[in-house]
Amino acid sequence: MPEMPTLFGALADPTRLAIVERLLREGERSVGEIAEPLPLTLPAISRHIRVLEEAGVLERRVDRQWRRYRIRAQAMHDLDEWMARYRSFWTASFDRLERMIEKRRKK
Amino acid sequence: MSKDADRTFRMERVISAPVEEVFDAFVIPEQLASWWGPEGASIPDYSMDVRPGGKWRTVMQLPDGNKPEVSGVYRTIEKNKRLVFTWAWKQDDGSRGHETEVTVTFEPAGKNTRITLVQSLFAEVAHRDRHGEGWESSFNSLEKYLARAA
Repeated sequence: MPEMPTLFGALADPTRLAIVERLLREGERSVGEIAEPLPLTLPAISRHIRVLEEAGVLERRVDRQWRRYRIRAQAMHDLDEWMARYRSFWTASFDRLERMIEKRRKK
Repeated sequence: MSKDADRTFRMERVISAPVEEVFDAFVIPEQLASWWGPEGASIPDYSMDVRPGGKWRTVMQLPDGNKPEVSGVYRTIEKNKRLVFTWAWKQDDGSRGHETEVTVTFEPAGKNTRITLVQSLFAEVAHRDRHGEGWESSFNSLEKYLARAA
Protein backbone atom coordinates (compact mmCIF):
# COMPACT_ATOMS: atom_id res chain seq x y z
CA MET A 1 0.00 0.00 0.00
CA PRO A 2 1.29 3.50 -0.73
CA GLU A 3 1.00 6.27 1.81
CA MET A 4 -2.76 6.80 1.78
CA PRO A 5 -2.53 10.33 3.24
CA THR A 6 -0.25 11.29 0.32
CA LEU A 7 -2.68 9.79 -2.14
CA PHE A 8 -5.64 11.54 -0.55
CA GLY A 9 -3.74 14.79 -0.24
CA ALA A 10 -3.16 14.62 -3.98
CA LEU A 11 -6.79 13.84 -4.79
CA ALA A 12 -8.37 16.25 -2.32
CA ASP A 13 -8.27 19.22 -4.65
CA PRO A 14 -11.01 19.96 -7.18
CA THR A 15 -8.61 20.73 -10.05
CA ARG A 16 -6.53 17.62 -9.48
CA LEU A 17 -9.57 15.44 -9.10
CA ALA A 18 -10.95 16.88 -12.36
CA ILE A 19 -7.68 15.93 -14.06
CA VAL A 20 -7.83 12.41 -12.62
CA GLU A 21 -11.46 12.02 -13.66
CA ARG A 22 -10.72 13.08 -17.20
CA LEU A 23 -7.78 10.68 -17.52
CA LEU A 24 -9.88 7.86 -16.06
CA ARG A 25 -12.38 8.49 -18.84
CA GLU A 26 -10.08 9.33 -21.72
CA GLY A 27 -6.83 7.51 -21.09
CA GLU A 28 -3.59 9.27 -22.03
CA ARG A 29 -3.35 13.05 -22.56
CA SER A 30 -0.61 15.65 -23.03
CA VAL A 31 -0.18 18.55 -20.60
CA GLY A 32 -1.66 20.91 -23.19
CA GLU A 33 -4.72 18.73 -23.63
CA ILE A 34 -5.15 18.40 -19.87
CA ALA A 35 -4.90 22.18 -19.45
CA GLU A 36 -7.23 23.07 -22.30
CA PRO A 37 -10.66 22.92 -20.57
CA LEU A 38 -9.32 24.22 -17.24
CA PRO A 39 -9.35 27.90 -16.28
CA LEU A 40 -5.72 27.89 -15.11
CA THR A 41 -2.33 28.76 -16.57
CA LEU A 42 -0.09 26.05 -17.98
CA PRO A 43 2.48 26.41 -15.15
CA ALA A 44 -0.33 26.02 -12.58
CA ILE A 45 -1.57 22.87 -14.33
CA SER A 46 1.98 21.54 -14.46
CA ARG A 47 2.28 21.98 -10.71
CA HIS A 48 -0.94 20.03 -10.14
CA ILE A 49 0.28 17.29 -12.47
CA ARG A 50 3.56 17.11 -10.57
CA VAL A 51 1.71 16.62 -7.27
CA LEU A 52 -0.30 13.79 -8.82
CA GLU A 53 2.82 12.22 -10.30
CA GLU A 54 4.74 12.38 -7.03
CA ALA A 55 1.83 10.77 -5.19
CA GLY A 56 1.91 7.92 -7.70
CA VAL A 57 -1.49 8.71 -9.20
CA LEU A 58 -0.18 9.56 -12.67
CA GLU A 59 2.62 8.18 -14.75
CA ARG A 60 4.42 9.86 -17.60
CA ARG A 61 5.34 8.64 -21.02
CA VAL A 62 7.55 10.62 -23.36
CA ASP A 63 6.37 10.31 -26.95
CA ARG A 64 8.90 12.13 -29.18
CA GLN A 65 9.06 15.57 -27.56
CA TRP A 66 5.65 15.25 -25.90
CA ARG A 67 5.07 14.31 -22.31
CA ARG A 68 1.90 12.35 -21.99
CA TYR A 69 0.22 11.39 -18.72
CA ARG A 70 -2.05 8.57 -17.75
CA ILE A 71 -3.50 7.06 -14.58
CA ARG A 72 -1.21 4.64 -12.79
CA ALA A 73 -3.38 1.55 -12.48
CA GLN A 74 -1.78 0.47 -9.20
CA ALA A 75 -2.89 3.69 -7.47
CA MET A 76 -6.50 3.03 -8.40
CA HIS A 77 -6.29 -0.55 -7.21
CA ASP A 78 -4.80 0.60 -3.90
CA LEU A 79 -7.63 3.09 -3.53
CA ASP A 80 -10.19 0.42 -4.29
CA GLU A 81 -8.61 -1.99 -1.81
CA TRP A 82 -8.61 0.73 0.83
CA MET A 83 -12.33 1.34 0.27
CA ALA A 84 -13.05 -2.39 0.32
CA ARG A 85 -11.65 -2.55 3.85
CA TYR A 86 -14.16 0.03 5.01
CA ARG A 87 -16.95 -1.83 3.31
CA SER A 88 -16.00 -5.09 4.97
CA PHE A 89 -15.67 -3.37 8.36
CA TRP A 90 -19.26 -2.15 8.19
CA THR A 91 -20.69 -5.34 6.73
CA ALA A 92 -19.16 -7.42 9.53
CA SER A 93 -20.13 -4.89 12.19
CA PHE A 94 -23.75 -4.79 11.05
CA ASP A 95 -23.91 -8.60 11.13
CA ARG A 96 -22.72 -8.50 14.71
CA LEU A 97 -25.07 -5.62 15.57
CA GLU A 98 -27.99 -7.68 14.34
CA ARG A 99 -26.97 -10.64 16.50
CA MET A 100 -26.42 -8.44 19.57
CA ILE A 101 -29.87 -6.89 19.28
CA GLU A 102 -31.46 -10.30 18.75
CA LYS A 103 -29.78 -11.58 21.90
CA ARG A 104 -30.88 -8.56 23.93
CA ARG A 105 -34.45 -8.94 22.77
CA LYS A 106 -34.61 -12.59 23.82
CA LYS A 107 -33.74 -11.69 27.40
CA MET B 1 -25.60 13.16 -10.52
CA SER B 2 -26.62 13.62 -6.91
CA LYS B 3 -24.97 16.02 -4.52
CA ASP B 4 -23.75 12.96 -2.65
CA ALA B 5 -21.59 11.90 -5.55
CA ASP B 6 -18.49 12.98 -3.64
CA ARG B 7 -19.22 10.24 -1.14
CA THR B 8 -17.35 7.01 -1.25
CA PHE B 9 -19.86 4.42 -0.42
CA ARG B 10 -23.28 3.88 0.93
CA MET B 11 -24.79 0.87 2.65
CA GLU B 12 -28.30 0.08 3.73
CA ARG B 13 -29.33 -2.51 6.23
CA VAL B 14 -32.66 -3.35 7.85
CA ILE B 15 -32.37 -4.48 11.46
CA SER B 16 -35.27 -6.29 13.15
CA ALA B 17 -35.72 -3.90 16.06
CA PRO B 18 -37.31 -0.50 16.62
CA VAL B 19 -35.32 2.67 15.89
CA GLU B 20 -34.76 3.47 19.59
CA GLU B 21 -32.97 0.17 20.19
CA VAL B 22 -30.81 0.44 17.11
CA PHE B 23 -29.84 4.02 17.85
CA ASP B 24 -28.92 3.04 21.43
CA ALA B 25 -26.58 0.38 20.06
CA PHE B 26 -24.60 3.21 18.44
CA VAL B 27 -24.50 5.66 21.34
CA ILE B 28 -24.35 3.50 24.49
CA PRO B 29 -20.65 2.60 24.76
CA GLU B 30 -21.13 -0.85 26.36
CA GLN B 31 -23.51 -1.79 23.57
CA LEU B 32 -21.35 -0.47 20.76
CA ALA B 33 -18.35 -2.35 22.15
CA SER B 34 -20.20 -5.64 21.76
CA TRP B 35 -20.72 -5.38 17.99
CA TRP B 36 -18.18 -2.89 16.64
CA GLY B 37 -15.50 -4.28 14.33
CA PRO B 38 -14.83 -7.25 12.10
CA GLU B 39 -15.87 -10.83 12.89
CA GLY B 40 -14.03 -12.12 15.93
CA ALA B 41 -12.98 -8.65 17.14
CA SER B 42 -13.28 -7.56 20.74
CA ILE B 43 -13.00 -4.01 22.03
CA PRO B 44 -10.65 -4.00 25.03
CA ASP B 45 -10.50 -0.21 25.25
CA TYR B 46 -12.96 2.50 24.26
CA SER B 47 -14.26 5.93 25.18
CA MET B 48 -17.22 7.81 23.74
CA ASP B 49 -18.22 11.34 24.65
CA VAL B 50 -21.50 11.35 22.75
CA ARG B 51 -22.27 15.03 22.19
CA PRO B 52 -21.47 17.42 19.33
CA GLY B 53 -17.72 18.06 19.45
CA GLY B 54 -17.19 15.10 21.80
CA LYS B 55 -14.40 12.65 21.06
CA TRP B 56 -14.63 8.90 20.61
CA ARG B 57 -12.06 6.15 20.21
CA THR B 58 -12.11 2.37 20.05
CA VAL B 59 -9.26 -0.12 20.19
CA MET B 60 -10.03 -3.41 18.48
CA GLN B 61 -8.40 -6.69 19.34
CA LEU B 62 -8.41 -8.73 16.16
CA PRO B 63 -8.05 -12.52 15.95
CA ASP B 64 -4.77 -12.07 14.00
CA GLY B 65 -3.22 -10.22 16.96
CA ASN B 66 -3.45 -6.73 15.47
CA LYS B 67 -4.89 -3.94 17.61
CA PRO B 68 -6.06 -1.18 15.29
CA GLU B 69 -7.32 2.00 16.91
CA VAL B 70 -9.81 4.35 15.32
CA SER B 71 -10.97 7.69 16.67
CA GLY B 72 -12.92 10.77 15.75
CA VAL B 73 -15.27 13.52 16.83
CA TYR B 74 -19.07 13.56 16.89
CA ARG B 75 -20.40 16.27 14.62
CA THR B 76 -24.15 15.79 14.78
CA ILE B 77 -26.36 13.78 17.12
CA GLU B 78 -30.09 13.69 16.40
CA LYS B 79 -31.63 11.15 18.72
CA ASN B 80 -33.15 8.19 16.85
CA LYS B 81 -32.56 9.92 13.52
CA ARG B 82 -29.01 10.71 12.55
CA LEU B 83 -25.43 10.43 13.73
CA VAL B 84 -22.46 12.12 12.07
CA PHE B 85 -18.89 11.53 13.21
CA THR B 86 -15.38 11.75 11.83
CA TRP B 87 -13.14 8.73 11.62
CA ALA B 88 -9.38 8.15 11.33
CA TRP B 89 -7.16 5.13 11.94
CA LYS B 90 -4.18 5.55 14.23
CA GLN B 91 -0.96 5.23 12.21
CA ASP B 92 2.20 3.36 13.21
CA ASP B 93 3.89 6.65 14.14
CA GLY B 94 1.02 7.50 16.51
CA SER B 95 -0.55 10.14 14.28
CA ARG B 96 -4.12 10.02 13.05
CA GLY B 97 -4.41 9.04 9.42
CA HIS B 98 -6.59 10.49 6.74
CA GLU B 99 -9.91 11.59 8.14
CA THR B 100 -13.22 10.47 6.70
CA GLU B 101 -16.75 11.31 7.80
CA VAL B 102 -19.47 8.81 8.59
CA THR B 103 -23.18 9.64 8.48
CA VAL B 104 -25.59 7.05 9.86
CA THR B 105 -29.31 7.62 9.30
CA PHE B 106 -31.99 5.67 11.19
CA GLU B 107 -35.50 5.31 9.74
CA PRO B 108 -38.46 3.24 10.88
CA ALA B 109 -39.39 0.49 8.41
CA GLY B 110 -42.55 -0.98 9.91
CA LYS B 111 -41.46 -2.49 13.22
CA ASN B 112 -37.88 -2.56 11.99
CA THR B 113 -35.16 0.01 11.36
CA ARG B 114 -33.45 0.89 8.14
CA ILE B 115 -29.86 2.04 8.70
CA THR B 116 -28.18 3.97 5.91
CA LEU B 117 -24.47 4.48 6.27
CA VAL B 118 -22.48 6.84 4.11
CA GLN B 119 -18.75 7.17 4.48
CA SER B 120 -17.13 10.13 2.78
CA LEU B 121 -13.51 9.77 1.73
CA PHE B 122 -12.77 13.43 1.90
CA ALA B 123 -14.09 14.75 5.19
CA GLU B 124 -12.18 18.02 4.99
CA VAL B 125 -13.07 18.78 1.42
CA ALA B 126 -16.69 17.72 1.85
CA HIS B 127 -17.02 20.51 4.37
CA ARG B 128 -14.90 23.12 2.69
CA ASP B 129 -16.28 22.69 -0.76
CA ARG B 130 -19.77 21.21 -0.72
CA HIS B 131 -20.53 22.59 -4.15
CA GLY B 132 -17.28 21.63 -5.84
CA GLU B 133 -18.21 20.51 -9.32
CA GLY B 134 -15.03 18.51 -9.53
CA TRP B 135 -16.29 15.82 -7.20
CA GLU B 136 -19.16 14.72 -9.34
CA SER B 137 -19.02 11.19 -10.65
CA SER B 138 -15.41 10.64 -9.63
CA PHE B 139 -16.11 7.36 -8.03
CA ASN B 140 -18.36 6.25 -10.84
CA SER B 141 -15.41 6.84 -13.13
CA LEU B 142 -13.18 4.91 -10.77
CA GLU B 143 -15.57 1.99 -10.69
CA LYS B 144 -15.84 1.90 -14.46
CA TYR B 145 -12.11 2.13 -14.79
CA LEU B 146 -11.58 -0.77 -12.40
CA ALA B 147 -14.22 -2.83 -14.17
CA ARG B 148 -12.40 -2.28 -17.45
CA ALA B 149 -8.99 -3.03 -15.93
CA ALA B 150 -10.20 -6.25 -14.31
